[in-house]
Amino acid sequence: MIDVKNVYKTFEEQPILCGINCHIRPGERVVIIGPSGSGKSTLLRCMNLMVTPDRGEIYMDGKLISPVDPTLHNGLTRNGKPDRRAIRNYEKDNRLDINLARQDMGMVFQHFNLFNNLTVLENLMLAPVQLKLMTKEEARAKAVELLERIGLADKADVYPSTLSGGQKQRIAIIRALAMNPKVMLFDEPTSALDPEMVGEVLDLMKELADDGMTMVIVTHEMGFAREIADRVLFVCDGVVKEEAPPEEFFSNPKDPRLVQFLQKVL
Amino acid sequence: MNAWQIFYRQLVELEGYKNILVGLQNTALIAVFGLLIGLVIGCLLAVCKIIPRNGWITKLLSAVTDVYVAVFRGTPMVVQLLLIHYVIFPALGLHIPILTEAILAFGLNSGAYVSEIMRGGILSVDAGQTEAGRALGLNYGQTMLKIVLPQAIKNVVPTLGNEFIALLKETSVVSFITVVDITKSLQNIANSTYEYIIPYIVLALIYLVLVLAVTGIIKLIERRLRASDRR
Ligand SMILES: Nc1ncnc2c1ncn2[C@@H]1O[C@H](COP(=O)(O)OP(=O)(O)OP(=O)(O)O)[C@@H](O)[C@H]1O
Ligand SMILES: [Mg+2]
Repeated sequence: MIDVKNVYKTFEEQPILCGINCHIRPGERVVIIGPSGSGKSTLLRCMNLMVTPDRGEIYMDGKLISPVDPTLHNGLTRNGKPDRRAIRNYEKDNRLDINLARQDMGMVFQHFNLFNNLTVLENLMLAPVQLKLMTKEEARAKAVELLERIGLADKADVYPSTLSGGQKQRIAIIRALAMNPKVMLFDEPTSALDPEMVGEVLDLMKELADDGMTMVIVTHEMGFAREIADRVLFVCDGVVKEEAPPEEFFSNPKDPRLVQFLQKVL
Repeated sequence: MNAWQIFYRQLVELEGYKNILVGLQNTALIAVFGLLIGLVIGCLLAVCKIIPRNGWITKLLSAVTDVYVAVFRGTPMVVQLLLIHYVIFPALGLHIPILTEAILAFGLNSGAYVSEIMRGGILSVDAGQTEAGRALGLNYGQTMLKIVLPQAIKNVVPTLGNEFIALLKETSVVSFITVVDITKSLQNIANSTYEYIIPYIVLALIYLVLVLAVTGIIKLIERRLRASDRR
């Protein structure tokens, strides 16, 4: 579903991602963990191109959404230099517009990022209506249905500033769901929450998982990772140092940095 | 007759008040529509400045914006007014009513100031708002229009209010291109009666009342906007 191919990213001369490869399969729950500053968010944000890789490519459902990296292909370079025409032809056949791709990729942020100038209902309706995926009535019906599902129907007409952190994050999640995405990306969805509100957000995420949603989750909640993940990735030093199903990942880690990391957090 | 009686006679019996009302109307029209045009231009310029400069078009837009702002902020309003009325519009062969000309001139000028205000306003909106919009698949323009600009404008309402007050007072120079505004209408009374004290004090009081009224309206808008945060 999402293919990350040999991605490099440098911020202010600091290499953050150094040739990352990973593949997210449909219906899969992938949890990404790693030390602070190791590039987990950067990797996740590369997946929907909120961050553009310096090198490497991102594919969504087999279609290219990032710039072309000619070095990853045969026939897109000539004498070691990018071959403009070959690249254009390749793009013509394989390019998926990033805004279209993002319609299928919901993203949930650490700091919620609900639209402050809009009511809860308007937050949920804005994108589907603006992008002409639904009529106003359809979008409203969908929004109300989602609000009822999380038990916040009474908050439809309030502004985000009146909500608790947990409520904000749950609404941010259903705002993404209102687009009927194929995959959801979560960047530390519970890190900015008071401890008593973490549960309600994790419960909603578990519900999504039970419904079969494809999910990529960056989190520090190890218990949750173990419970929900089909696969756990350990990102460190700009690469995926280890990846395994959760039982093996947590009970039998191999990479020394992972062993060290798990000792610290568990 | 004393000065009061002369003023009263000019105002009421000789129907000078009609001129004053026309002057007041012109002043208000120039200030209000000038600001509206300024807002539109200012928002466009601010976005041109803030848009990521990764292609030649966006670089050009940014450069054009810099020149625009430098020119309109670097020359006096009166000079701009004279240039537009006596040089630019004739050169373009445009024949439009002088009131419209005045509105355009003040709008163009105000746009330069508003653009700087809006740029600050846009930068004061949390980057997460843009990210959330883009992540949902909205394009840059939709995100700006529906999410960022409304919040930016709200953040700068007090500053925009000051700009409006400055603009309102600055309209007093439009008589340079023969528009009769509130200043000109009272100046006419003073000149035809040779009594200057009362007309000019009245003129000052009218501006003061206008500015106080505008200040009150801005306060009201601010309060309304803040209330909508906490519903
Ligand atoms: N837009 C940016 N500009 C400059 N530096 C950035 C940018 N985004 C991230 N960085 C830097 O890249 C490094 C990795 O950031 P990233 O957010 O991907 O790490 P992380 O693994 O998510 O860390 P955390 O657990 O703290 O969220 C950090 O040092 C950060 O300062
Ligand atoms: Mg992070």
